[in-house]
Amino acid sequence: MPSELPMNDPRNIWQNQPTEVFKMSVNEIRGKAQRRRRKARREALLQITIGIVVCAFFAWIFARAHDETLPRVGLGILSLCGLNFAYQAYRWIWPGRPGPDAAVSSSVEFYRSELERSRDYGLHIWRRAGLTFCFLGLALVILPGVIHSLNSPRLLLNFVPVLVLLAIWLAIFFPTRKRRLRRLQEEIDELRGFEQHGRS
Amino acid sequence: MAVGPRAQNYLLENPVASDYLDLRAEAITTGDVSQDSLYQDAADTYGASLDRLARAYELDPDARRDLLQDIHLHLWRSFGNFDRRCSVRTWVYRVAHNVATGHVIRQRRVRSRLVSIESVDTMPGNDRGELVASQNEALDRVSMLIQRLKPLDRQIIVFYLEGMDASSIGEITGLSPANIAMKVHRIKNVLRRWFGEGEPHAE
Repeated sequence: MPSELPMNDPRNIWQNQPTEVFKMSVNEIRGKAQRRRRKARREALLQITIGIVVCAFFAWIFARAHDETLPRVGLGILSLCGLNFAYQAYRWIWPGRPGPDAAVSSSVEFYRSELERSRDYGLHIWRRAGLTFCFLGLALVILPGVIHSLNSPRLLLNFVPVLVLLAIWLAIFFPTRKRRLRRLQEEIDELRGFEQHGRS
Repeated sequence: MAVGPRAQNYLLENPVASDYLDLRAEAITTGDVSQDSLYQDAADTYGASLDRLARAYELDPDARRDLLQDIHLHLWRSFGNFDRRCSVRTWVYRVAHNVATGHVIRQRRVRSRLVSIESVDTMPGNDRGELVASQNEALDRVSMLIQRLKPLDRQIIVFYLEGMDASSIGEITGLSPANIAMKVHRIKNVLRRWFGEGEPHAE
């Protein structure tokens, strides 16, 4: 940085700051892009495998359980949740899907669409992750046990820590999510205003 | 370096880098120039600017290096789809800033603390007009200011510091000239207070 720059001129200081030369050649960049693609595929494959294993595990228990109907239905739902998890991993993580075109969209448009993506993910996380069905399946699996334990209240006490933790989580999760979504929406609305102003 | 005959004639008369890049971009559609060489030219022309841009989005040196690599990777990839709907310069800055914006958005904790330039301008106790002792301190101060801003305002202050005019900023960001003028006015106010900046810069 030249030493004679006036220190109250941020533009000059910014433009004359020392910069590093970017050393990667085009071939190295191409290699990196391929490595990144392979890594993304491995990660997606891992997620898909986890989903399939979960599906197979619950399907196996489902096939072996012959006693009660409700737990069997729950196990079936959990097995399908595993399959849904694998499908969602393929749909959202598998590389090669055309992503948002970073160059064609202007900065405001790109930023807004990213915020909207973040908002939609937050809004539909239960549906997208299949959490509703997971909880339903789990409830059906454990419900008969809970009903049996009603005869001996001492056994019910075993469930108290889990229920307390669940209540705390719900008490924190929903207000935090609501606040985050409200902030996101405010920012999205502001950007939409900028875009409309830019077009008019 | 293969460029078409029209490009060669033009280059002899107007050897200006940005025009040259646009001609190379034209040649890419006719198959005269490859994606690789167009990227290489853009990286040579805007390399230093992209390095400063990465600095505006990431203070940690290692993370900054990763971000810069990411920007170059996206840039190289994007030139495969370059359709000349805008100039190469606009293309390069859009890609770079959008990649960097994605980087900020992924850091959810950091993002929740970011503020707009209007907030910084109106926030009491932000008057830091005392003179800085060294240029490094001045650079740290400007970096600190930039790091506090939301992505869109961050882009505008970076473009302002890079010396771009309002129409170029508008083309890249998609903001109207009135919005840019308002933002730049705020930026100048803040910089004046933080640096005791003398004459306001002409746009």
